[in-house]
Amino acid sequence: MPTDEELMLLFREGSREAFEELFSRHHRAVVRFAWRMTGDPFAAEEAAQEIFLRIARAAPAYRPTAKFTTWMYTVARRATLNYLRDTKEGGEKVPILSEGEAEDGVYPVQLPGPDDRNPEQVVWEAQLAQRFRTALGELPEGHRAAFVLNRGDGLSYEEVAQVLGVTVQAVKTRIFRAREMLLSRLSKDVSA
Amino acid sequence: MGCRDIFETISACVDGEASPEEAARVREHLASCERCRVLERQMHAVGAGVRQVRGSVPDRFREAVFARLDAEGALPKRKKVFPTAWRWMAVPLAAAAALGFFLLTSRDAVRGPDSPGPATSRIETSAPPDPSPQGNAVALSTEDREMLALLDILEDPADLDANDDAEGMELLAPGDSADSPNRPRGGRSGA
Repeated sequence: MPTDEELMLLFREGSREAFEELFSRHHRAVVRFAWRMTGDPFAAEEAAQEIFLRIARAAPAYRPTAKFTTWMYTVARRATLNYLRDTKEGGEKVPILSEGEAEDGVYPVQLPGPDDRNPEQVVWEAQLAQRFRTALGELPEGHRAAFVLNRGDGLSYEEVAQVLGVTVQAVKTRIFRAREMLLSRLSKDVSA
Repeated sequence: MGCRDIFETISACVDGEASPEEAARVREHLASCERCRVLERQMHAVGAGVRQVRGSVPDRFREAVFARLDAEGALPKRKKVFPTAWRWMAVPLAAAAALGFFLLTSRDAVRGPDSPGPATSRIETSAPPDPSPQGNAVALSTEDREMLALLDILEDPADLDANDDAEGMELLAPGDSADSPNRPRGGRSGA
């Protein structure tokens, strides 16, 4: 089975099937990343479409100097960052959801597939996902991206550093800060 | 060295990114500090919690993406099975094939093996896409669930620093850089 890098090179040479295979392999991860970064299902879909468009357009200049996924997440992060900047109302950080929207459940939480678990556990996990989604949205974008890429998408600190264009130490600090802020935010939810 | 000085290293350990020396230092500290053991579990928990924020692939997402890419000319055209020069042969070829099939079936001839399907793509494809609209939803492990439940009983993170000589947890205001030497210090601020 061809590697991602080989597929990208084939696509660069004109193979549509190669791009279709890349899409099949990675579209869920791209949508998941866009969702975690934007917190909005409609924005996530729009951003994910934009990400694949950018990947396709970048093919003529693609060089396999790094893992394809590292490059893909670099494209994805820039796309979501540009989306957030385009929609911000002021300040460096873009509020994702207001408290009211989060509590009203305007954006449905995606529940896990049916299984034989306790329904109460399923509801609890859904509520947990909602709270985390809200708390994630309040992190500064750079911290959110570092934490999501490492904890959510499994990139190493080194890979995250490449995606974000910062040092490994900066990634380490951002991820720790993100944890601090999430713990603080989630504990406020409990005591409120 | 106060607990505060090792928080960031504990975080890196949780992610498997600490050096052997750092990991040894963390293990030694955790062996004698219950508060930091709790913090370490909470750090694990927030990672597990973020993984629960998954979203789902929208219906007809693939169609929408490829329609847009085709509209913007970002993809090569799909190759035609029959080049234009060969199309004029389609009707007589189809008629000949139908006649041959008729003759074979009318004589009750032994059928050969099934005719080969469409030419296989030279690109080996991965497994079929997950039909679940939820994507690759994974249930929380027992350990993750217990750690996340730990967050629910957390009354005030400031308690973690109650006996620490160093300043309390630092929170960055929006726009502050994590690496800024002039980042604000002090108590917890409203998030």
